Amino acid sequence: MIEISAYYFGAIALIMIGLYAVLVKKNLLKMLVGLSIMETGVNLLLISIGYINGKSAPILSEGVGPKGAVDPIPQALVLTAIVIGVATTAMALSAAIILYEKYGTLNIEEIRRLRG
Amino acid sequence: MNGQYASLLIAIPLISAFFVPVIKAASKKAVMPFLVLVTAVQTAAAAWVFNEVYTTGKPIIVMAGKWQPPIGIDLYIGHFAALFVFIVAAVSFLLSIYNFKTIKIEPIDKYAMLFLLLMLGATGMIATGDIFNLFVFMEITSITAYALTAYNKTGEAAEASMKYMILGGIGSSFFLIGIAIIYGSLGTLNMAQIAQLAGSMNATAAQAGLALLIFGLAVEAELFPLNAWAPDAYQAAPHPVTVMFSAFVVKAGLYAAARLLYLMQAVGSWHSVLKLVVIMATLTVIVAEFSALRQRNVKRMIAYSSISQVGFIALALALGTQAGVDAGVFHMVNHAIVKALLFIAVGYVAVELGGDEVENFRGLGRRMPITAFSITIGSLAVIGIPMFNVFWSKLRIILATVDVGYTWAAALVLIASVVEAVYYLRLLHVMWFERSGERITESAALGAIMLLLVAVVIVIGVYPDYVWNLAQKAGADIFNVAQYIKNVPLMGVGA
Amino acid sequence: MVSILKRSLAIITILIIGYWLAVAMSHIPFGQDKMLVGQYYLNHVKDQTGAVNAVTAIVVNYRGFDTLGEVTVLFIASTGVGALLWKRKRERTARVPGSVVLTTGTRFLFPFIVLFGAYIFIHGHLTPGGGFPGGATIATGFLLLYMAFTVYEIPHKGFEVTEGLVGMSYVAVGLIGLLIGSYFLYDWIWQTWHVGTVGKLFSGGFIPIIYILIGLKVGTELSGIIDNMLKEGVSGND
Repeated sequence: MIEISAYYFGAIALIMIGLYAVLVKKNLLKMLVGLSIMETGVNLLLISIGYINGKSAPILSEGVGPKGAVDPIPQALVLTAIVIGVATTAMALSAAIILYEKYGTLNIEEIRRLRG
Repeated sequence: MNGQYASLLIAIPLISAFFVPVIKAASKKAVMPFLVLVTAVQTAAAAWVFNEVYTTGKPIIVMAGKWQPPIGIDLYIGHFAALFVFIVAAVSFLLSIYNFKTIKIEPIDKYAMLFLLLMLGATGMIATGDIFNLFVFMEITSITAYALTAYNKTGEAAEASMKYMILGGIGSSFFLIGIAIIYGSLGTLNMAQIAQLAGSMNATAAQAGLALLIFGLAVEAELFPLNAWAPDAYQAAPHPVTVMFSAFVVKAGLYAAARLLYLMQAVGSWHSVLKLVVIMATLTVIVAEFSALRQRNVKRMIAYSSISQVGFIALALALGTQAGVDAGVFHMVNHAIVKALLFIAVGYVAVELGGDEVENFRGLGRRMPITAFSITIGSLAVIGIPMFNVFWSKLRIILATVDVGYTWAAALVLIASVVEAVYYLRLLHVMWFERSGERITESAALGAIMLLLVAVVIVIGVYPDYVWNLAQKAGADIFNVAQYIKNVPLMGVGA
Repeated sequence: MVSILKRSLAIITILIIGYWLAVAMSHIPFGQDKMLVGQYYLNHVKDQTGAVNAVTAIVVNYRGFDTLGEVTVLFIASTGVGALLWKRKRERTARVPGSVVLTTGTRFLFPFIVLFGAYIFIHGHLTPGGGFPGGATIATGFLLLYMAFTVYEIPHKGFEVTEGLVGMSYVAVGLIGLLIGSYFLYDWIWQTWHVGTVGKLFSGGFIPIIYILIGLKVGTELSGIIDNMLKEGVSGND
């Protein structure tokens, strides 16, 4: 088997669980929750790339010098990615509200049947 | 004026979009004219940048915050970006006039904000020089597109938007995983530095990273199998928004995919990724053409046709040769103009005659002659008839594929053109040879816009050399990565 | 019920993709120092930006363009939700008022929540946090008000105009940088005027200013989204 760290494995597992939910589930809200889990998994993967053994948080006040901190860039990237995930979820939920008002159901097969 | 003022291309739409709520609080009727003003200013700025880049031959590098790349983010406005930013701005200007006739559903002020931000997103995707910045602008484009697709608030629009959102969400997550792999291997996010260091990446990791990036962009770029959202979204979106999708949103996605592909050409597993893109492009063309045959709704038929043209562009860009990239860029320019013309005309018919089913197009030649004429020229151009612009770009694509030895691809282009001829000529027959209804007066402004686009189509068809030269310079911008690296003032970042 | 075939097809696809990702990630060793640009940031953040929190310095100063894009994304989300859920006349349809514990607790806690949110975004350059968590905290305060009182509504016009003005100010800060230092988003406060000393509250160049703007923007936007989702159209006026 390949050698892989526990953090990477956990992140990839989350991504796969989320993708499974999006592909297989029929209820719209469950698909959106799956999408959300997938995005969380990706954020976890990004942060774990930046970790360096034995170093601490990149706030350079007392005691932590420039050689004693982990990589600050993935943390900045994840800040942005989280906000983008929130925005996507908000938009998707409003579209779901419109669908529920028009068709009375959140099941995608029902919706496809009602649309004709 | 120094080159850093090119950052106004990003600042102007942004500050105007934030200004709209303030205008709305003052006077509701001023919002649409404000859009016309802002797009006009953006077109002027883009024309200035275009002039600068093409007369001096040097790209403009905007360094945000005075940080040299790779410490800061840079905007690389080379030949391709200057050309396309101008096209984006000009098409948006024409659409801001088209908005007056076609957008009637409230809330109009929010529509205006989303319109400006979609234009900004496409401009940013084309002009950026940093992969995470590309991701942010891609998300700006996508999320605005999700909102605008569902703008009409009907059941179909909401369903199309939901499909788009789920595919787009998966795509952007994959794109981020690709960024994670590339950053983890190389330690930098700047495109020029990635191209410089690409040779040192492990081949399997590079293949996975690049494939994930292309998959993420394939949703925006409408490649099979991630383009399931496109026909529904094109049909359900408001008419100006459909024009924006087909004229520049998809081009921005294709450009980003091409740029990333060619940046990483030093990587060991490059050819396998190219083959993957070629397969995806071919399937796009085949599936789209055969679906277009069965459509009774004209807007949806033209949407499928648009998707298959996008497949041609992707095929040309993925050939891996300079000639292929040039042909792809030329087709991008031509396709943007022709599809803008077609969707504007079809949308106008739908607004005036109450729908875009084929029945509404009966006898259009007598009822709305200018619009019918524009649709005719547009259809003939798309099929690839000589004397119109698409003929030259399709010819170039065929030549480029034969050069590489993919004669099956040349045959595919020809067969697809025959299929297109079938369904477009069918539409023309309904328009000109069936009688129904009496004359409707057409708006002068829209007639002028359509005739202007028709004129551009014919002029490029008869004198293709000027635009072909522009396309070659823009293609060299994408293909010649060594020059790209030299142009960016990379700072040494020794640890 | 989903057919067994479709479910097993999905599981097989996911296992293949998962394995492929794991192989790719195994070439990126975990926990080793592979910083290139990151080390440069850590070495120079104190004297080039005046902040001690390297992550916020990157987010606002070095890669400030990305943050501008992020603020735009939230703006689009708020506008989009407003556009999609728009009805001619909307009002709150909650009928059950909150319990005594909720209403009294909210009345006491709301000012402290807003104060805490403001603390987070003002100190962005010294402690973890910054504009986005600060704004989200303030929006949570408003959410509490919505849940406790069935008639409470945020003042729409005021919030919308605030959102627009604050967004314009952020771009204006960048444009002033273009005028003074001839580069968009140039930090003229720290680099030209040299105001402040590292480690104190008045430092970090324009980071506190931008974070205050972002905090206000995110707070008003998220409250607007909550407001849009909690209202329903009054029937007959679609």
